[in-house]
Amino acid sequence: MNLENEKPNGGGKRRSASQWAVAWRRFRRNKAGVAGLVIVLAVVFIGIFGDFIAPYPAYPANGAFGPFYKGDVRTAPNSHYLMGTDVLGTDVFSDILHGTKFALYVGVVVTIITMAIAILVGAVAGYFGSWVDNVLMRITEVFLVFPSLLFILIFVRVFTLGGGAGSSFNFLGISVPFGLTIVVVVLAIFNWPGDARMIRGEFLRVRELEFVEAEKALGAGNRRIIFRHILPNILSSIIVVASLTIAYAILLEAGVSFLGFGDVSTMTWGQILENNFSDMRIVWWAEVFPGLAILITVFGFNLLGDGLSDALNPRLRD
Amino acid sequence: MRRLLYMIPVAIGISIIAFLTMYAAGDPIALIKAGKPNINEATLSGLRTYYGLDKPIPLQYVNWLMNILQLNFGKSLYGGLPVNQIIGPRIWPTIELQIVSLLIAFAVSIPIAVQSARKPYSKQDVAVTSFSLFGVSMPTFWFGLILIIVFSFTLGWFPSAGSQGVAGFVWWGNSFFDQIAHLILPVAVLVYVSLAQNIRLIRANMLEVLRSDYILAARASGLSERKVVYSYALRNAITPAITFLGIALGGMIAGAPMTEYVFSWPGLGRQYVTSTLNLDFPTIMGITMIITVMTLIANLIMDVLYVYIDPRVRIR
Amino acid sequence: MTETLLKVEGLKTYFYTEAGIVKAVDGVSFDVRKGETLGLVGESGSGKTVTSLSVLRIVPKPGRIVEGKIELKGENLLAKSEKEMQSIRGREIAMIFQDPSSSLVPVYTVETQLRDVLSAHEKISKDDAHKKILDLMNLVGIPEAEIRMREFPHQFSGGMKQRVAIARALALEPELLFADEPTTALDVTIQAQVLDLLEDLKKKMGMSLVMITHDMGIIAKMTSRVVVMYAGNVAEIAKTDDLYYRPRHPYTALLLAAVPRLDRKKTLSIIPGNIPNLIEPPSGCRFHPRCEFATKKCEEAPPVLEEVEPDHFVACYEWKNITLKGETGKND
Ligand SMILES: Nc1ncnc2c1ncn2[C@@H]1O[C@H](COP(=O)(O)OP(=O)(O)OP(=O)(O)O)[C@@H](O)[C@H]1O
Ligand code: SF4
Ligand SMILES: [Mg+2]
Repeated sequence: MNLENEKPNGGGKRRSASQWAVAWRRFRRNKAGVAGLVIVLAVVFIGIFGDFIAPYPAYPANGAFGPFYKGDVRTAPNSHYLMGTDVLGTDVFSDILHGTKFALYVGVVVTIITMAIAILVGAVAGYFGSWVDNVLMRITEVFLVFPSLLFILIFVRVFTLGGGAGSSFNFLGISVPFGLTIVVVVLAIFNWPGDARMIRGEFLRVRELEFVEAEKALGAGNRRIIFRHILPNILSSIIVVASLTIAYAILLEAGVSFLGFGDVSTMTWGQILENNFSDMRIVWWAEVFPGLAILITVFGFNLLGDGLSDALNPRLRD
Repeated sequence: MRRLLYMIPVAIGISIIAFLTMYAAGDPIALIKAGKPNINEATLSGLRTYYGLDKPIPLQYVNWLMNILQLNFGKSLYGGLPVNQIIGPRIWPTIELQIVSLLIAFAVSIPIAVQSARKPYSKQDVAVTSFSLFGVSMPTFWFGLILIIVFSFTLGWFPSAGSQGVAGFVWWGNSFFDQIAHLILPVAVLVYVSLAQNIRLIRANMLEVLRSDYILAARASGLSERKVVYSYALRNAITPAITFLGIALGGMIAGAPMTEYVFSWPGLGRQYVTSTLNLDFPTIMGITMIITVMTLIANLIMDVLYVYIDPRVRIR
Repeated sequence: MTETLLKVEGLKTYFYTEAGIVKAVDGVSFDVRKGETLGLVGESGSGKTVTSLSVLRIVPKPGRIVEGKIELKGENLLAKSEKEMQSIRGREIAMIFQDPSSSLVPVYTVETQLRDVLSAHEKISKDDAHKKILDLMNLVGIPEAEIRMREFPHQFSGGMKQRVAIARALALEPELLFADEPTTALDVTIQAQVLDLLEDLKKKMGMSLVMITHDMGIIAKMTSRVVVMYAGNVAEIAKTDDLYYRPRHPYTALLLAAVPRLDRKKTLSIIPGNIPNLIEPPSGCRFHPRCEFATKKCEEAPPVLEEVEPDHFVACYEWKNITLKGETGKND
């Protein structure tokens, strides 16, 4: 008996433009998803323009106090300092705005690396099956029972020893903090197996669909089938997982920094929390507001991910 | 029981990774030196011979593994105490915290998830799903900070730190109440976080199971709603959740550093943070191995439970 | 033999989905008489399953019975409380599902599942239940019942599982049994056995059977009357012979022509066009986009069921003006 409603993607043909339009319409009706999108757009906006909006300049990377330093250490929130100042005397509100770009950097780059590895591995395992698949599944199983946080901490600790902290490199004209990049790479290394597993599942599903069989019968090569036919079909799942991965990465980086393993000279939100932790009985504001920023951002990406999953892929829905 | 066999290569794999991590950035002694620039040379060369660092790496690994298998992790680089003496008293507090939280979270999440799944997309369900999404979006440690600020700094109800859990659970006297008082906040944090995960998972499974033919068939034979939901649907929805629980418990144990650090809980997690910051490799390796073993045992227990609960696996 | 057991009138069951309201059953009327086997045919998606679920009042969410009357022996089922319905389900009306592998709970033994059904309706001791289950399993022809009842569904073959499902449905000797495509999921060789079993048990217990199927062969073999459904509506109701020899509805004729019969070698002709979308069904007669006899009128208002000869109802404006080809080679 089939009581399931007709699935919009059930036929398994390439998504046409109109299917994206349908998905968009479905997404628009989902209030939570739209709220997530609004939050994410706001965060991206602040990430780009935060340095210009912020009332006070950023805490300089080399630790030297600039002219912005007012000596107002540990001031409670007031009209000058909306969210108070922290133990170092910097404005918490400005710090949060400046820190937004780092949160996005972490989320996006971890996700890009993770997805690249996951798609490669997942595609190979899902498409070719047999022993490749077997090996991959064993590896991801190991990772799933693996106390990865422990290894993340020690990797980060060891790799940042070489004096990575404080220095930065230039990428397309943007100065990127080196220490934070190490954290990002380590997070990605430990994060790909779960995503690879998911993508493998999708590959297995799409591989069985008729049109792929037909392509094969027509003699299309593996590369062509994977890139021209399967990948576009699982794009929606990839988008959903990417959005959730961004959320997860931001959360994890905050934790790593909070525990004192982050890039001390890069004021990520987690780093602000760590700096003020021992004095939090007094400067509670320097703990509450950066944490709220993390919560709202992560919540936004999660809402967006869930909304996208409902709209693009009703099959994946909870 | 195939998973039991996987555990052996998993454990070996992790031990190799753990061992190589020590060498990932070069000579561990150099690392110690980099981490602690004013340590004196004589101590360093003493350490070098003491840890057999002058031998070839595979041999070092074998020696190291043999020692570990005998639960001999060597001495801490800080204070020189045997690692066992550092780790030993910290195992129980970690387990205590995790188990109490896990049980509470699981018990609470079932009825919530079931009710939510019975009326999908109702107001109540939307509230529950948003709450769980909110829960998984919350940094664990930050939630702990908020609880400390509100309940211990402002209201002064519970202590924020300094559990004496080292001696283990005491069932009588002031110590017992002290224990409870110290447990409440960290348990609240862990429960909230894993509650969110459990609810999402069980609700999703329930929704799927409730759509299945056997539920319709059970209804069609006149079984009561309670029987249908709690005995037929829930039983089927929980089965896949069990394996996940193993992973979740593993995740919680592995995630212990966060909560324990916030609440100054005298467990393995907090010690791990301290030791890693200090690059105290013997202690790091000891804790890693212990936590790995605990995680594997947790998974094994869940697997056994799974086999017990799902007849399809049992027969095969 | 003409006493009415179940009477369904103007039944509407809709699914309130995100995409819109699916009018899965939209004004369906028919009755089931005591002791008869009534066929319920129609293409996939025509609302056969939803109709039977509606009668039992177990339509899954987001579906809901919107309107209509369902009377069992003169009592309105839609006015009953959930508790009262529970005691009717299984004891007065039971149902067998299409796929036996998914209609039995995987985590309980066959004995437990059958016992749950028994004890849902009456206080029964474990021993008595055991004896009764043993009898039931013997009745549906499961060998070594004593051992097999302690096994789990996945240890049974498809045909045996369906026998278990039948045993469960018959445990309380219901007066009315809905069999929703009970053989579609089974091997061809097993199908005949299960159908024979059903027919046999039906006679033994004197119950009424509603046989839901796509298979016109099964209809011809087992039923005395047939309800033809199309897109949530009833197209035609007739005695089986009448329907075969003198179909009045264009859709029925197409169905008869489309289905290969075991006793004739005929190429399968597929009904042209698609099953309509039930969110925005075609106006007027829902069949008009696919009907070769459609007129302007057919697009405007839906035709109502009218009795064209005793016990033969048709919902079509044109029935008088058209001659349809029925079966010719069937000998009784
Ligand atoms: N849970 C549901 N949600 C939405 N629509 C549903 C649901 N269940 C059934 N429907 C719709 O109701 C219509 C009738 O379905 P039903 O299962 O009764 O058809 P059927 O005649 O039994 O078909 P089949 O021969 O395939 O079993 C279909 O169009 C289906 O899409
Ligand atoms: S009413 Fe019109 S469209 Fe409908 S079946 Fe009859 S002739 Fe065809
Ligand atoms: Mg059906």
